Amino acid sequence: MKINRRAFTGLMGTTLLGLGLAACGSGSGSSEGGATTFVIWDYETETSAQAIAWKRAIEIFKDRHPEVEVRTVEQTFEQLQKNAKIVLTGDDVPDVMEFNKGNSTSGQLASQGLITPLTDYAAKYGWDSALPASLQTTARYTEAGLMGAGDWYGVPNYGEYVFVYYNKDMFEQAGLTVPTTLEELESVCDAFVAQGIVPFAEAGSEYPMGQLWYQLVLTQADRNFVNAYQLFQGDVDWRADPIKAGTERLASWIGKGYVAADSAGLTAEDAGASFVAGRHPMFVSGSWWFARMVADIAGFEWDQFLFPGTDLYPGSSGNLWVVPANAKNPDLAAEFIDITLSEEVQAVFAQHGGLPVLGDPTTIEDDKTRVMTENFQEILDGDGLAFYPDWPVAGFYDQIVSAMQSLINGSKTGAEAMADLAAAYEEGKAEIVDV
Amino acid sequence: MPAPTRTRPQAAGPRTRRSRRRSLPYLPYLIPGALAFTVIILYPLVMNIWYSLHKWKGGMAPMRFIGLGNYSELLADEKFWSSFQNSMFMIVAMVLVPTLIGLLLAAVLFDYVGKHFSSSVASTLRAMYYLPQILPVAVAGIVWNWILNSQTGALNSILRGLGVDAPPNWLGSTSLALPSVMLVLIWIQIGYPTVIFMSALQRVDPELYEAAELDGAGWFARFRAITVPQIKPETFVIVLTCTIAALKVFAPVYVLTRGGPESSTLVPSYYSYLNFFDKSKVGYGAAVSTVLTLVIIVIAGVIQVLQNRSARREEEGR
Repeated sequence: MKINRRAFTGLMGTTLLGLGLAACGSGSGSSEGGATTFVIWDYETETSAQAIAWKRAIEIFKDRHPEVEVRTVEQTFEQLQKNAKIVLTGDDVPDVMEFNKGNSTSGQLASQGLITPLTDYAAKYGWDSALPASLQTTARYTEAGLMGAGDWYGVPNYGEYVFVYYNKDMFEQAGLTVPTTLEELESVCDAFVAQGIVPFAEAGSEYPMGQLWYQLVLTQADRNFVNAYQLFQGDVDWRADPIKAGTERLASWIGKGYVAADSAGLTAEDAGASFVAGRHPMFVSGSWWFARMVADIAGFEWDQFLFPGTDLYPGSSGNLWVVPANAKNPDLAAEFIDITLSEEVQAVFAQHGGLPVLGDPTTIEDDKTRVMTENFQEILDGDGLAFYPDWPVAGFYDQIVSAMQSLINGSKTGAEAMADLAAAYEEGKAEIVDV
Repeated sequence: MPAPTRTRPQAAGPRTRRSRRRSLPYLPYLIPGALAFTVIILYPLVMNIWYSLHKWKGGMAPMRFIGLGNYSELLADEKFWSSFQNSMFMIVAMVLVPTLIGLLLAAVLFDYVGKHFSSSVASTLRAMYYLPQILPVAVAGIVWNWILNSQTGALNSILRGLGVDAPPNWLGSTSLALPSVMLVLIWIQIGYPTVIFMSALQRVDPELYEAAELDGAGWFARFRAITVPQIKPETFVIVLTCTIAALKVFAPVYVLTRGGPESSTLVPSYYSYLNFFDKSKVGYGAAVSTVLTLVIIVIAGVIQVLQNRSARREEEGR
């Protein structure tokens, strides 16, 4: 093991210099000359609810520990996503770090021994009883890196889920109301198509289309399916419902023009920007767009509704706080994490459009923010978070993107696209199970 | 004049020993270079090969030695083969087309623009052709995405303005994505051969052109009989460096299509990256990059041999 690590670090140390990934001198919560430096890595933009709330958490932490010098290092999501497994093998690591959740991300770090088990801290601070069960799923990982069981390896302090952003003006002009069933949603779409309007802002080269596919699968699914698909608690039949029904529905939606035929090469940003520009009446995507919608939509009235005809939604805890295995101050890290879960910090989250995992939504003043938070609470209460379609196995994101592009381009039937996904899923599953 | 015959020196042994003795005191000067080579090239290469013989998730996860298992898996991997097939298209886009266009541009700039206008006009045009080479690929990628975006791109806006109802889906269709990426690569590459060919042309003895002109040779005849043969060494350098760049092309594919749609623009280096980082199949990713390295070494070797042979023929022809 040691040889692997040293050799790997040596190799990557030399090759990654050019990529600027060394994050030189930015890590390590070292104790030099008695003074402790506590280092936090995150990748949230300054104006996000997370960044604002965590700023408050840092102030509280500093008040409690005036002897500790706190250093925050802003990373990028991509940078950490791609390089954490390299950077964390060294000694120059942060004390606490934001990281993506799921089998193919935090699960990998856990299985690679790069992050610290936090089970004892979870019991000590009561996270294991305070956080809703569906949020705990993403916090715990087995030795193989499979989420949902085993030790705590990360702690979420905010949430996210997928819903429908809609253009109220376009709905009103077309004389349409918010659909409450899948059939009503299809009627709404038909009405827009009849007017020459493509109902959904979509993107085939990134996540939005895959999430729409998964949402349609979820309309036919139950918790057992989610557990089988995401946690490998059973087999997934890719040729049967709910996958078959969801995929066929999506294919028919594409055929009926609910999704633009030229959207295979578009990015999530393209889709979001199209909705913001008022070109499409609906955008099925996550709460992470909320602040952007508030800031950027100027020319029309917009609002939100939960995807109809389902109790299960793509969504999860937000990213996790993880503690690298080589971190110098794990106790302080756990204390900091606990502060981010405090009532005060969670309230800051809520007020700034974030989705707190603990707290009271009724105190939120802004209507849209409150509705979004209340909907999230409703989903949590109904155990309705079904995670994301690309989570089960590493590298599945690209496979789903490719399958969705096939469906949009019409180059494969739903059954053919699902056969490809099934092969990749089974291969990835075997990789995880075969430690 | 008969060409001199090349003979091997008969007394090579003692002379080589003497020269070895003479070069011994200079050996310490090789140490920094040898050290740098070991650390920067040799060690990572050997480690990469070592990883390719293992099944490994990376990080501190256990490594399992599987011998040539990753390589045998590669042999049956359709994506791997199609990525190498796409490499051939990259060679067309980064070597063949830019070299031909660069040669023509350089000749026109040197022979026509430089002489009929002024050398500063030729220099300005040369610099403009070189601009895409200076531009960071990420920036170029964003700009080309603006141009080629199927819904909001400038190109399709123009086409719609011209009355085309369903303009092409440049980066989103499996049949057009690869040609679109190739187009961007040609745009990026053209400046490189142009600049090198222009400096090569300055090296050519003007008396050759004058003599040919007096003999009544037209522009194309001079271009074919003097320019092309005279700048052969530079042509080899361009073909060699651009072929290597084409085989390991990564950034333009990453910023434009990420290998899609449906893997239609997948190239070996991006496939290696996907396995290494996204799938955490470190050993498999290492195997892909090892094969890629080998292919590059072999192709570079072949080009080098061809160049040496051509140089030798020229020497013999004199």
